[in-house]
Amino acid sequence: MTAIAAKGTNWRKLFGRLRTYFSKPQNVILLVLGIVLTVTTIAPMLTIVNDTFAVHEGSVDARDVEEGQIYTTFNWVNLFAPATKTQKRLADINLWTPLKNSVLLSIFSCIGAILFGGVFAYLVTRTNMKCKKYLSAIFIFPYIMPQWTMAVVWQNLFNSNAVTGGSDGLLATLFGLRMPLWWCQGLFPSAMVLSLHYAAFAYILIGGIFRNMDANLEEAATILNTPRWKTFLKVTIPLVKPAILSTILLVFSSAMGSYPIPHYLNLSTLSTKYVELNASRAGQASILAVIMMLFGILILIVNQKTTSGRKSFTTVTGKSGQSSVVNLGIGKYILAAFFIFFTLCTGILPIIMFAVETFLPNPGDYSFITSGISGNMTLKWWINSDPLAENGMYGQLGILFNSTIWNAFLGTLIVSACCALAAGTIGLLVGYCVSKNRRSKWAAYVNNMAFLPYLMPALAVGVAFFIFGSSMGIFNTFLLLILAGTVKYIPFASRSALNSMLQLSGEIEEAAIIQDIPWWKRMTRIIIPIQKSSIISGYLLPFMTCLRELTLFMLLCSQTRIITTMLDYFDEMGLYAFSSGINLLLILVILLCNFVVNKLTGASIDSGIGG
Amino acid sequence: MKKLIALLMALIMTLSLCPVLAEGEMTVEEVIALAQTMTNEELYKKAIEESNGQVLYGIGNSSRGKTAGASFVAMLQGIDPSYTGTIDWSQPKNNSIFTTLNADIKGAKHVYSMTLIQDGNQVKSKMIDTGNLLNFIPKEWVEGEGVAVENNNNPLALQTLNKVFMFNNLGEAEFTNCWDFVAEGVAPLYMGVNSELVGKNFLYMLTHETYANYLKEAYDALPEEKKAYFAPTVEEMALEAEALGLEAENAAYGLAYIYLWCTAYNEQTDDGPICNTLVTTSAVDQCGLLVYSKLRSVEESAESSVNNITIAAYQDGYQGIGGYAYKHYLMIPKTSPLPWTACAFISYMVTTYDGFAAWGKDMGGYSANPICMWDHTQDGYVDGVNTYDAKNDRGYEWWISADGGRLVVEDPAYCASVAFDLGDWIDMIVGSK
Repeated sequence: MTAIAAKGTNWRKLFGRLRTYFSKPQNVILLVLGIVLTVTTIAPMLTIVNDTFAVHEGSVDARDVEEGQIYTTFNWVNLFAPATKTQKRLADINLWTPLKNSVLLSIFSCIGAILFGGVFAYLVTRTNMKCKKYLSAIFIFPYIMPQWTMAVVWQNLFNSNAVTGGSDGLLATLFGLRMPLWWCQGLFPSAMVLSLHYAAFAYILIGGIFRNMDANLEEAATILNTPRWKTFLKVTIPLVKPAILSTILLVFSSAMGSYPIPHYLNLSTLSTKYVELNASRAGQASILAVIMMLFGILILIVNQKTTSGRKSFTTVTGKSGQSSVVNLGIGKYILAAFFIFFTLCTGILPIIMFAVETFLPNPGDYSFITSGISGNMTLKWWINSDPLAENGMYGQLGILFNSTIWNAFLGTLIVSACCALAAGTIGLLVGYCVSKNRRSKWAAYVNNMAFLPYLMPALAVGVAFFIFGSSMGIFNTFLLLILAGTVKYIPFASRSALNSMLQLSGEIEEAAIIQDIPWWKRMTRIIIPIQKSSIISGYLLPFMTCLRELTLFMLLCSQTRIITTMLDYFDEMGLYAFSSGINLLLILVILLCNFVVNKLTGASIDSGIGG
Repeated sequence: MKKLIALLMALIMTLSLCPVLAEGEMTVEEVIALAQTMTNEELYKKAIEESNGQVLYGIGNSSRGKTAGASFVAMLQGIDPSYTGTIDWSQPKNNSIFTTLNADIKGAKHVYSMTLIQDGNQVKSKMIDTGNLLNFIPKEWVEGEGVAVENNNNPLALQTLNKVFMFNNLGEAEFTNCWDFVAEGVAPLYMGVNSELVGKNFLYMLTHETYANYLKEAYDALPEEKKAYFAPTVEEMALEAEALGLEAENAAYGLAYIYLWCTAYNEQTDDGPICNTLVTTSAVDQCGLLVYSKLRSVEESAESSVNNITIAAYQDGYQGIGGYAYKHYLMIPKTSPLPWTACAFISYMVTTYDGFAAWGKDMGGYSANPICMWDHTQDGYVDGVNTYDAKNDRGYEWWISADGGRLVVEDPAYCASVAFDLGDWIDMIVGSK
């Protein structure tokens, strides 16, 4: 009898504790988000792992299986323990070489991005270099553009009949300049293009630290008569180390998951090999996706280690907030001139080339320059309205009359808006709830689960949702795109929201709690208005990133569904006028959105890149 | 509790009715069997009954299915102005059409009613052998006058497309024999064999007896110094042919050609850029194997002209294969939600001029049905003058004949039979470049 009474008391206690726990909205939200994020992140991953063991009809793994057999270890054995010389050679071609190239590409992209972005960040924030405002705005242009467009520009500039075969690129045509093959194709150009693309990451992350750095730290070293180079190495660099680490983590996984750049520049990576193998070796392709996912998890672990063990530096204090400016002397003009030229090549030239391309008679046909015949320019790529006209347009209507292009554009806007709304809201809730439960292991788990997809290479996430979506019968639907985009972009919003929520003192909300103001009112009347700038960044970044996303979505829908798959289609088809026109439209929309939001709220893309 | 039990029982009873209702419906196979005995007129009526107010989802490797779909709907509206059905056409990227279709067929909810699909090898091994795609032969097509039923009915082919050898003629290089395209220092522009798999099927087919014999004949016609260059490779490949279990007497010539082609070709993303490259003045001596119809889209300028290229097989005295041919197949998933409409749409495309017009207006695409064919023999004429000779399409019969273009024609069954071993062998060569 006593035992039963004790048991009843225990149950009541547990019930009471649960009721208290769930009386706090952040705990309920954390529980729900934890379950939702686990399902949306882990379920697609498990489907890939399952796919590596599944028998695929018409694929190599179905060759020696018995009737009715649905699972096999063939794919793993074939890649990791090849029995014959042929299998070993194939494993080398299909796994080890792409893996090596992917890792090298990621490493070189990190180095390049940090060098370009870090040096530029230092010059803009800590020196008296000229034209900073202009340079700062133009430096992020390569990041705004879809990444592979730079690869196409690279090809159009440097290819030549003598070296790469085919016709001459612009530099060979105009100046007879023929670059060596390693410059035109393979690891070097791929790493260069990715470095330029992700240099904006480094610039914004490292620049943020430089901008807020207290000059007293360096001044102390100067007073102690420390040489400038030593101050830079021993004081400045350690201060920006966390930002450098963040850049490495973000760029590494992004570079590893990049498909279009190595595809256009002829480099065999895990991403390009995945697409190649998918026809006859689908299970082995899934193994490549699993490897990419493992890199993502590895990066998450490294991220955890570095953030938990990281030396803490206080860079913002209540004292002098002035940062010292290094006087470059005459160098301020020379460096400005160099960077104006540099950004001209990386930011302005591609846009000019895009614009010119839309007026050429045939893709890459610059006869108006070489022959001086202005009649060799045309408006057909914009205004052709005759579907039967075969004037070099492969039956396509001009951009202005091409409903396929505009429908795809509308599709992109729908997907981007929905992803931004969903990711922004979930990220906001994650940020809020995690900040309220900082010491909770569950909160840390939810936070990691929300951040994990960002560290996963985009192609791996795309593959996971492709297999998941196909089995759920939602392939080629906006629902699948929105689901994948939301999961992938939650980290943008959650990081942004978490950082801003951590800045908020608990007292602000406590005052409202004492007055018995409901949670939703506290959120909409107090929390969100105070941190609206970073919260809007949490919506803005997924929106803008989604607008130009290809790798994540390329396996999930037909090419006419959204504008980036359409753009890639035109690029692959060699219809550069269309892809260039679409690129111009995309850049315009992104800049316009950034401008409007910046004017309305003060938030902008360059204040929050990288989460 | 009682309410709950009552609710559960009601649910079970309702669900138990579902199979009974489904039993009354015809399976897709039964619909196809019946549809094969019907005229177009009867099929169109069935389609109107079945899909009025609904959307037929089609998926295909050609974006022009959308144009054909719009034409089909307009035709049905001509019969019944109240018809409000539509066709939603999608073109998946890369090779995902097979995965998508299989996922749709195996899934709980079925979306796609018909498909236009290429790559005979995968169609055979992944779709026909598994029974996932079903073949439908329209009555009016099989009974049509002059229809080339043989080789186009299993599965039903919408059209045969050709990819042909071309070269930039502004330099000194000569390509008078198909072996010239794999000669020393030559790097033909070509889509990656794992990027567009019909390109790999072309290579498989070179080991087929008919085409290996073509290659042997062309090899024999080579001058001695050129023969001497290729001879060691041909000899080496005799052993490989045996190891790969190839049965054709001259398979070694096929393998030698594949080996040389794979080590030399310059991979491009699509035939469009290959065409744009070859027609320019700077692409001197470059060559490629690409879809013939791409030539229609070249705009003449100071830098680019169709006259800068020559179709290899159009030269007098040219020896050997002139390119290859592959097909677009029309098939119906075994789970098609609108099988009558799918049959009617397929029949419309292969038996009427308007139905095939989306493809027929271009050179290089050939219907097996003469009613659908357009004449492209004078596409290169401007105001009655033969201005762009390369655009004058000599037609399907010429291209596939042993006395004409000697195209290598895709045979799904043969490709599927050699794909695994030969595919690995090709991947090793391409991967070792």
